[in-house]
Amino acid sequence: MAALRAMAVRLGLVADVDGGPPIVPPSGWSAWLTTLTACAMAFLALLTIAAGLAAGGLAEDWQADLAEAATLRLPASTDAATLERVIDQLSATPGIASARALDPGEQAALLEPWLGRGARLADLPLPVLVDLRIEGSGPDVPALEANLGLVTPGAVYDDHAGVRAPLGRAAEEVRRIALAGTVLVVLAAAGMVALAARASLAANAELVRIVRLIGGEDAFITRAFVGRIVRRTALGAIAGAALGAGALAALPVGGLSTALAPVLLPGPGGLAALAAVVALGFVAVGWGAARATLRVTLREMQ
Amino acid sequence: MISLEKISFGYDGRTTLKELDLEVPAGSFHFLTGPSGAGKTTLLKLLHLEHRPDTGRIGLFGEDIQPADPRQRTRLRRRIGVVFQDFRLIEHMSVSDNIALPLRLQGKPMATHGDDVIELVQWVGLTERADALPRTLSAGEKQRAAIARAVITSPELIIADEPTGNIDAEMGMRILRLLVELNRLGKTVMVATHDLGLIRAAKSLVSARTLRLSEGRLMQAASDL
Ligand SMILES: Nc1ncnc2c1ncn2[C@@H]1O[C@H](COP(=O)(O)OP(=O)(O)OP(=O)(O)O)[C@@H](O)[C@H]1O
Ligand SMILES: [Mg+2]
Repeated sequence: MAALRAMAVRLGLVADVDGGPPIVPPSGWSAWLTTLTACAMAFLALLTIAAGLAAGGLAEDWQADLAEAATLRLPASTDAATLERVIDQLSATPGIASARALDPGEQAALLEPWLGRGARLADLPLPVLVDLRIEGSGPDVPALEANLGLVTPGAVYDDHAGVRAPLGRAAEEVRRIALAGTVLVVLAAAGMVALAARASLAANAELVRIVRLIGGEDAFITRAFVGRIVRRTALGAIAGAALGAGALAALPVGGLSTALAPVLLPGPGGLAALAAVVALGFVAVGWGAARATLRVTLREMQ
Repeated sequence: MISLEKISFGYDGRTTLKELDLEVPAGSFHFLTGPSGAGKTTLLKLLHLEHRPDTGRIGLFGEDIQPADPRQRTRLRRRIGVVFQDFRLIEHMSVSDNIALPLRLQGKPMATHGDDVIELVQWVGLTERADALPRTLSAGEKQRAAIARAVITSPELIIADEPTGNIDAEMGMRILRLLVELNRLGKTVMVATHDLGLIRAAKSLVSARTLRLSEGRLMQAASDL
């Protein structure tokens, strides 16, 4: 406990470097701009990360659904007996869990968006579709197609790669954008802290001069100022992250299908963890930025 | 204790101090006098490493000053107590917190040194003003607070710049007696002043050497001040 406190003091996280009255004078309302800005930025960072997680997760989920399924297309002329033989053969193929021909009703539902309700499908030379559930890494496609070709020429195996690839790319892209957004917000926060640190030193130049003249080390001065700035940043970041998490938790996801909701948003525990990570991240970045700026600026003030 | 060799210093190209030589033995009491603008404060600032000489060599406590070594600067400053001409108290801190600050800066905990502060505040007669902020103090009270802060860490060398500058004669004597007492405790004391009355009054209390700074040069003052 004592070691922890000593560490916190060294890092400037604990008020009053050594238990004495604050070295840095109380500053007016403008100092609270640091807290306010940190609050806004932590809020934005949390929303950006959550949006990235949700969108990426959604795309990934769809992709996973598609990956578990494949479709076999047979020529329109395929008769019932052939279809039965094909189904038997598919069911016996390693990598395929089950095979089931779509009935005309299901096929109509698939085509409805293109042809409209009530189209007379029986008049169209529609291919026969077989819905396949995949297990493991799936069947050996060239071998399967060759075997099927012996039964019914013109069978085409479709593993949905054409749809899965763009979904994968979309998920990747959304994640990249969210990451870039988060990095930008964090950089802005670091810049804000650096400005605040410089302003604070400039406003207290005489204090710095006196402390140095009576035997104070720059490390002592740095700790005193870092503490002040980090505490303000932490206060804002915690508030902002909590607000962001609260806002997300209050979203009416109950109205969404339950299958979708867990993908869209982390649960209460997840949100709390995300808020904690964001707040901690801001404290760490604020601490680093404040310390580096103070050291450089103090060197300039020699 | 202090050894200056051919020290020259000037602000913005003008020469304020010209090739000064000075030896100050440990335990001595020196007055530094001269007209306003002669460079008394400037010389003290060189001793306290607030300025670097343009040329020449400064030795303190037997060490050569390395101008580019901030660690040495801090280390040596901790062995010097300075009473600044303009006090330089920290405005948002109370009298006793100002006086205790050098201890804190040297990492000496209040738990073990708190009594020293209370004692010293009493010694300079500020017990009733201990919690006051500097801006509410009279010039004499600020002066005494500044002296207390200068000596709280028991430094070997005490430099006081016009310690009786803006106070009446009676208070001036009181401060002089404080400085003499410190000298009797073994501290080396250097007092810049143009108060010749103070120097005369000191004669009966301490055997002090008086240096006169004039036109950038340092000379031993006539003994019949
Ligand atoms: N920071 C500064 N920048 C430029 N010139 C300065 C500075 N400080 C002092 N001077 C000049 O250097 C000369 C010596 O000043 P200094 O303060 O050392 O004199 P002093 O003997 O202490 O005077 P006083 O008795 O009034 O305190 C003066 O001409 C002063 O104007
Ligand atoms: Mg002066």
